Amino acid sequence: MKNKLNSILPPVVLVLIYFLIQLLLSKKILNPYHIQILMFACVNIMLTVSLNIVNGFTGQFCIGHAGFMSLGAYGSAIITTMLFGGMKMDPNLRIPVFLLSLLVGGILAAIVGFLIGLPTLKIKGDYLAIVTLAFGEIVRSTLRLIEPIGAARGMIGIPKITNLAWMFFFVMITLYITRNFVYSRYGRASIAIRDNEIAADAMGINTTRYKVIAFVFAAFIAGVAGGLYAHLMTFIQPDSFSFVKSNELLVYLYAGGSGSITGSVLGALVLTIIPEALRFLGNLTNWRIVIYAVILVLIMLYKPSGLFGGKEISFLRINRDSFRKPFNKFNDPKLADKQNS
Amino acid sequence: MAILEVKNLSIEFGGLKAVEDFNLSLEKGELIAIIGPNGAGKTTIFNMLTGIYPPSNGTIHLDGENLLGRKPFQFAQAGIARTFQNIRLFSNASVIDNVKMANTADSNENFFESILRTPGMVEKERQLDEHALELLSLFGLEGQADTIAKNLPYGAQRRLEIVRALMLNPKVLLLDEPVAGMITTELDEMAQLVKELREKHGQTIILIEHHMNFVMPIVDRIIVLNFGKTISEGTPAEIQKDPRVIEAYLGGGFHGNA
Ligand SMILES: Nc1ncnc2c1ncn2[C@@H]1O[C@H](COP(=O)(O)OP(=O)(O)OP(=O)(O)O)[C@@H](O)[C@H]1O
Ligand SMILES: [Mg+2]
Repeated sequence: MKNKLNSILPPVVLVLIYFLIQLLLSKKILNPYHIQILMFACVNIMLTVSLNIVNGFTGQFCIGHAGFMSLGAYGSAIITTMLFGGMKMDPNLRIPVFLLSLLVGGILAAIVGFLIGLPTLKIKGDYLAIVTLAFGEIVRSTLRLIEPIGAARGMIGIPKITNLAWMFFFVMITLYITRNFVYSRYGRASIAIRDNEIAADAMGINTTRYKVIAFVFAAFIAGVAGGLYAHLMTFIQPDSFSFVKSNELLVYLYAGGSGSITGSVLGALVLTIIPEALRFLGNLTNWRIVIYAVILVLIMLYKPSGLFGGKEISFLRINRDSFRKPFNKFNDPKLADKQNS
Repeated sequence: MAILEVKNLSIEFGGLKAVEDFNLSLEKGELIAIIGPNGAGKTTIFNMLTGIYPPSNGTIHLDGENLLGRKPFQFAQAGIARTFQNIRLFSNASVIDNVKMANTADSNENFFESILRTPGMVEKERQLDEHALELLSLFGLEGQADTIAKNLPYGAQRRLEIVRALMLNPKVLLLDEPVAGMITTELDEMAQLVKELREKHGQTIILIEHHMNFVMPIVDRIIVLNFGKTISEGTPAEIQKDPRVIEAYLGGGFHGNA
């Protein structure tokens, strides 16, 4: 019973929050700008959680995650804007085409993730860092050269389809599948590789395979997040997905605590909102990178495990009991008796 | 036919012949020990038998199958599981997860079943849990299933490493100094457990140990190594009387006969 409640509660809470926000909007306590910031925070949550799969749970080091985001953003924007007429799209097609475009964006990022992950993750050592760093920059420079998608000027006229409801929906799905991943043999293999790669190997885990799976999975989520971002901004530019963006994601991740989904959510949420809240101090954009770098150094020095260091709130955890007890009771009367006595 | 057949296994590290012409024919259900002074090459043999070091010469056949050229995880999947001299647990994972991690290759639920947590996947997880708990209870660890591995006492960590290896359902189990650093009572307990593994479960085992009073009463055969070469082989009684063994230990500063 408690488990049922546990699994229904989070979506219910999210829906309540959604309606609370709508209420605050109608009472003019919140304004559309606030909502925009919140949606950016949601995009960052998806990106940070996905980065966590690679850096936090598998113990690899990806530092070009914005590259996957840009592939998803461009991939999905090309579908909605260039293939289906963008703003002029048949209203009935908007949602299906939008969802299709997100899928395409995610798959594009996943395919590229596979192509760079396979050769790189085969080699032991931190080659992934170097390769993903280069990858992020290569994608950005290449996008700057492709004239049909606006080159360095970027793409404009992307229909604004992403709204708060969609954002909440996708964050929810991301958290759900990421949690399930962590508590499956795929997640266990990842954690084994992170904790002791030699032992993982000796226990029959095909380390390259599971690293690649984690990496491709993360790339897919980042791609979808990129697609949501494109249809939120209505305008994308290669330079929005530079090393600065990847770096930001690393700060969110390590501030929240790598290896904790809860930490990624809070890291991304808090660190997206704070700079906006501090706008009254003047334009901090130029200082952002410096501030983030300082935060990163301080965290590494004083609290390397981050705010949440490995801990999870209950929705993002699966206790063994949660799947043992109900099954025992319904399927195995003998065991149920033993438990009751 | 022998379950594990090793011929002329040799390896060099930059001119140092760490192991030279090691031969072994291990029958199913046998329990043997490899002993020898520090640096004799015992762990190096395990590293070759698990694919971590490719030998410079020799062959390894498990159940008639040639394993040379395969990757370490394939050695494990083929049926050679091991523990490590310096404990190598998945230290931030729970005790039961450590055990379940050794089953990754066997579980067959696919990626999408896993991220959607389908009823079929949950049922497989439950069965896996039960199996892991059963193995843990063999070594008295079922009560600590949810403890984080690095928080276990030292002796329990060593036992957990054995349980984890057993999860692979290995044809041959390699134990590298399973009682290193343990106190006497733990030592007797471990001797009992290893004996039971062999007697009740028919587990084929090779162990490396320095503690002679741990090894002597439980093994069928001993192979003695010195400077990478096999200097003697036989039953515990034969080994104890062999002058070459006595000399090797006196010369090599053997410290473990306590
Ligand atoms: N990767 C390596 N590179 C270079 N030399 C190595 C390597 N591994 C082992 N050796 C050397 O091979 C020899 C045998 O080492 P090994 O670890 O097998 O000894 P051992 O019999 O297990 O000793 P101990 O009882 O101390 O564990 C030693 O001289 C060691 O220094
Ligand atoms: Mg050794």
